[in-house]
Amino acid sequence: MFNWFKKRSSAATYTNEEWIQHLTPPPLEAAILKLRSFLLNGLKAALYKNVDRGLDDFVQDIAQDALLKILDKLDTFRGESKFTTWAMKIAVREGYTELRKKRYQDISLEQHSSYHPENKEAVEIEHEQPGPDQLTHESMMVQKVMKIMEEELTDKQQKVLQHLMIEQVPMTVVAEIMDSNRNAMYKLVHDARLKLKNRLEVEGISPEEVLEQM
Amino acid sequence: MTLNKEILKKLVSAIPMTHPDELGCGDCFEQINEFAEMELLGKSAEKAMPLVREHLNRCGECREEYQSLLKALKKLKIYS
Repeated sequence: MFNWFKKRSSAATYTNEEWIQHLTPPPLEAAILKLRSFLLNGLKAALYKNVDRGLDDFVQDIAQDALLKILDKLDTFRGESKFTTWAMKIAVREGYTELRKKRYQDISLEQHSSYHPENKEAVEIEHEQPGPDQLTHESMMVQKVMKIMEEELTDKQQKVLQHLMIEQVPMTVVAEIMDSNRNAMYKLVHDARLKLKNRLEVEGISPEEVLEQM
Repeated sequence: MTLNKEILKKLVSAIPMTHPDELGCGDCFEQINEFAEMELLGKSAEKAMPLVREHLNRCGECREEYQSLLKALKKLKIYS
């Protein structure tokens, strides 16, 4: 009984070094079970508001997938935090990635994967032709900035912005649609913001002025 | 499918917060465990890692994951 308690307490207080040691192939079964249980409890607390039905089954699947990723990435853990915190972030991301995909599974990947840079129709700018009346309400500046956006942004950037800002598709899902990853999508949008910012500075147009006219 | 003024408005609105040295989602994810740990230990994570904080302010998906990570860690009482 004492030995069992001692072993159990020891597992509950693994150091980072012990976690790595016990999970390095061939992993210690007790460590796997401990980590899995830890992930399950954490995921339930993290995701219960986002899962309407079948939370237990959902987190079981996510914990299993996360466990495999954690074991696979073990050599990338650099010890900047507790090992369990590092492991939990991987599990939480796994959970949200799956949740976001499920939420948008009705969006046809086929429909969105038809992106071809040469397909001009898919990224056509909305060329509005303002009439005289409209011009009284709408700044020429806005039209100019629309033109700048058309000139500065690539077709791919325009396509991604359309998904993110108009269709409200999560970046996780857009990344899948574009056969890319979330980091690359963020960088692409960042680059679009930066290009527009730099061009507006060159043109002597402040963002506040533009927004006032919209 | 068209680009329109809604996109322009959102992009222009984001310009004041746009900087060349922003972290991407990947860099943020690399550091978020350290950031969360500092936060839960009552250390000044925002001062120590301002670029992570800025990314969380900008990126809804990373922010959602970070907040859920904190929930999980609090539930598990790792830092209490």
